[in-house]
Amino acid sequence: MVDQESTLIAIALMAAVVYLTRMGGYFIGLQLRHIAGIKPVLEALPGCAFMAILAPAVRQGNIIEITAMACVVLSMWRFNNVVIATGVGMAVLIFGGSF
Amino acid sequence: MSTYQSALLGIRSCGDYFISTFMFGVMFGIAAAAAGINHWQALLMSASMFTASGQFAALEFWHAPLPLGTIALSVALVSSRNILLGMAMTHHFDGHSLKRRIVWLYLLNDPGVVTSFRLDQDVDRLGYVTGYGVAIMVAWLTSTWLGLSVAGIFVSLDLGAVDFAGPLVIATMMMLFARSSNMKATPWIVSGIVALILFEIDTVNYLVLLVSVAAGVIASIIQQHRQHG
Repeated sequence: MVDQESTLIAIALMAAVVYLTRMGGYFIGLQLRHIAGIKPVLEALPGCAFMAILAPAVRQGNIIEITAMACVVLSMWRFNNVVIATGVGMAVLIFGGSF
Repeated sequence: MSTYQSALLGIRSCGDYFISTFMFGVMFGIAAAAAGINHWQALLMSASMFTASGQFAALEFWHAPLPLGTIALSVALVSSRNILLGMAMTHHFDGHSLKRRIVWLYLLNDPGVVTSFRLDQDVDRLGYVTGYGVAIMVAWLTSTWLGLSVAGIFVSLDLGAVDFAGPLVIATMMMLFARSSNMKATPWIVSGIVALILFEIDTVNYLVLLVSVAAGVIASIIQQHRQHG
């Protein structure tokens, strides 16, 4: 069982880290904005980060997790509906272990 | 369009993500209860961090004594995309005071940023993203509370795969981003391939992220040069 003091320190630390990432990127961007042609490059960045996180996560995933991911991607591709995609993915994650 | 009207537009536009955030929030509440985190601590975590994938990542290491360094690093790595989201919005938050930007950046959120790219030019992006963030925050907090409250019902289920909810959230973001963007997919594909290669040769996590994003940026620059001669 984690004691209360450690929990509060951890929460404060994590909140600070997350806020710094939110603020830091914006202010780094302000310093880079005057470089010619930087705008389309900056706008490609989130997709690059998503893929850099997703590829290893899928590679490490078990069969249920990979199936859930495939269902999410296919649902988004077919319906472009976040609720359907999320619902299908979570259902596979939760109930997939039963089969 | 004024900042207030843009914020209202953000609130109205978040329907799909409000529901999906709610679903992930319930899962986070259940997973937090399973990790031994009590109600008010989990709610404080959701209110102060406001990041699904980061919070799920933290739960992976939630055991006594808390490995604070590892938790902070994992949250930083998962949240590092916020740096890129913030950079992507650099050109879009002009016209607001520095104080307002610093405070409102707290509510910077993936779906708000991603969907803002397809808006008309007259929409105030900071107002839109903040309105979107307020609505998502309401969904995140109420669903965390609901998940904590119903956690006992799910005790009998094997929730081992629930921590994969973080990558699922990111996958929906990626698909939304790809479908709403006019960009070619080459930089993203390059990033994904480089990340896989680095992962296979046992590169440490933060280098996988840094190098693969750098590769995507280089691909994007090359793409720009080719398009504009």
